[in-house]
Amino acid sequence: MENENVSVKLINPFVAASYSVCSMMFGQAPERQPLSVMPQSITSHQVNAVVGVTGNIKGHVILGMSLPTADRIASAMIGAPIKVFDHLASSAIAELANMVCGNALLQISENGDICDLTPPTIIRGSKVQISTLAIPAIVVPLKLSMGELYIIVGLRHEKAVAPLQRAA
Amino acid sequence: MQKKILVTDDAMFMRVILKGILIPEKYSVVEACNGQEAVDQYAAHKPDLVFMDITMPVMDGLTALKTIKDQHPEACLVMCTAMGQQNMVIEAIKSGAKDFIVKPFQPERVLECVKKLIG
Repeated sequence: MENENVSVKLINPFVAASYSVCSMMFGQAPERQPLSVMPQSITSHQVNAVVGVTGNIKGHVILGMSLPTADRIASAMIGAPIKVFDHLASSAIAELANMVCGNALLQISENGDICDLTPPTIIRGSKVQISTLAIPAIVVPLKLSMGELYIIVGLRHEKAVAPLQRAA
Repeated sequence: MQKKILVTDDAMFMRVILKGILIPEKYSVVEACNGQEAVDQYAAHKPDLVFMDITMPVMDGLTALKTIKDQHPEACLVMCTAMGQQNMVIEAIKSGAKDFIVKPFQPERVLECVKKLIG
């Protein structure tokens, strides 16, 4: 449960970052849907952008969406319709994940947590099981005119283990 | 004469977006997808301006900036940065970058920067 509590505290920067990036990129703020908690194994969406987080806070963030939604988002980002979800479309979705996570980590760093991001990895395939081991994830569904975008945040603080001290 | 701009980013999407902003304004665009390619492309094309991403494979943007400035002190470079890379931007400015733009790019901001630096 403690991990879940920590994870909840880390959700708001990602929600705020999504609002900021979507407003800037698409001229619309997403509509937030109810949160849910996922266990340590996630069944992927059709298109997933996975970003690793390292530093004081460790874990992963996944932007998941259906293929039609990914097509529409990539088309909006590129400014031209996507006929096939190709390398350029993947690159656009990866950059969306980069911008949301970079923006969120900037807000998190204001609390003194220093983190870094791994380059995004795009995973395609709706029945892929992604195991997050000991980190449960919070899912933030966001509704855009292009479709639903799921931000799956599985992060936890790395605790500094202090030696146990007793009064003499 | 048409001004030449070198766009350096490992993300194809970012290169396409920058090209889409610059080409309609009659700038000629050369591309590189990592810092080493940017160093090579700079030597080959002598562009009027370079847009340089920071985080890239093979050679990162800061190393490429310093290498280009060492070899071509007159080079005019603008860093492309994601949110949260302020420290790197400060180091880049100290190393000779003229300006920086933040992703996601705002076309007006990109063009304002280009026109200010090379017209």
